Amino acid sequence: MDDVIAKSKEVTLLEILDRVLNKGVIISGDIVISVADVDLIYLGLKVLLSSVETMERLRGAPIYSPYQEPS
Amino acid sequence: MSAEATARELIYLYCVTKKAPRLKYVEKLADKISFVYYQGLYAVVSKVKESEFSAENLRKNLADLEWVKKQAGIHEKIIEGIMKDACVVPFKFGTIFDNEHNLKGCLAENGKEFNDNLDRLRGREEWGVKIYFDAGKLRDFISGESEEILRIDKEIGSSPPGKGYFLKKKKEELLKKELNRKINECGQESFDRLAGKGLDARINKLLPREVTEREDDMILNSAFLIDKNKVKDFKSEVDAIKGQFKEMGLCLDCTGPWPPYNFCKISKEKAKNG
Repeated sequence: MDDVIAKSKEVTLLEILDRVLNKGVIISGDIVISVADVDLIYLGLKVLLSSVETMERLRGAPIYSPYQEPS
Repeated sequence: MSAEATARELIYLYCVTKKAPRLKYVEKLADKISFVYYQGLYAVVSKVKESEFSAENLRKNLADLEWVKKQAGIHEKIIEGIMKDACVVPFKFGTIFDNEHNLKGCLAENGKEFNDNLDRLRGREEWGVKIYFDAGKLRDFISGESEEILRIDKEIGSSPPGKGYFLKKKKEELLKKELNRKINECGQESFDRLAGKGLDARINKLLPREVTEREDDMILNSAFLIDKNKVKDFKSEVDAIKGQFKEMGLCLDCTGPWPPYNFCKISKEKAKNG
């Protein structure tokens, strides 16, 4: 069974960035990174807006989750 | 900037626990890692330089991908280290306080909510599941499975070029529609089945290829809160879905256990108005 589950040491950087930048508790510290600041990181990764749009079109209707928070 | 200002230190907050955190796994990961105790809660912190983490400098550094990668890795490793023997509330990257007084103020104000989260999350783990699809493989699978497409294929073979052209177009449209349907169906099915094995579940934003650096596209980015005693059961379900999806060109990545980044609930009003 272990071969299908990535061990935490082999977890890619993507998995880490996706969590520590996008999730985690946000409280009013003296300095907290805003969502707009995090977007800079994606710009740094040369994300083309068009590719996101393509994905959304391709995906069609979003997957329904009763638990999903409005984004 | 004067030398004095450059040397000034800020407090970086990683996570909060209810049990005295054991720092031995993490003390080498960052400068001056320690904890701040306040009314039954321990805040795991380190000192960071203002020259790197002041609002202005942090914003500049965020544009430097190498810096972000390194710091995000440290953030994650410290929380994982603490998580080895304590339940944690993990904070978002770059939660910083000017001084200990302000940090204690935050603990005082949010103390009840941190405690509630820690009570609720005890004995539970966060697991992540991302699903990707290979368009070529899925097209082949659908082409071989859909009776309508097989019928059009047959017709194309016995049609004159003019009619064949229109039939091919029709087939393309049908394929696209089927592909879309299949992706949504599979994403929904996996999410529902895995959510059924857990206590809570989330769907997150899809990440584009430029971020994932993969050849295939993400169709589901999800997180699940699993009882520690049920993790085996959850993993078996992951394996079952994985096996079922393989021939369709769908690839399922399961990772964990993670700090419960997706499952801490702090009321938004409070976070905003703080």
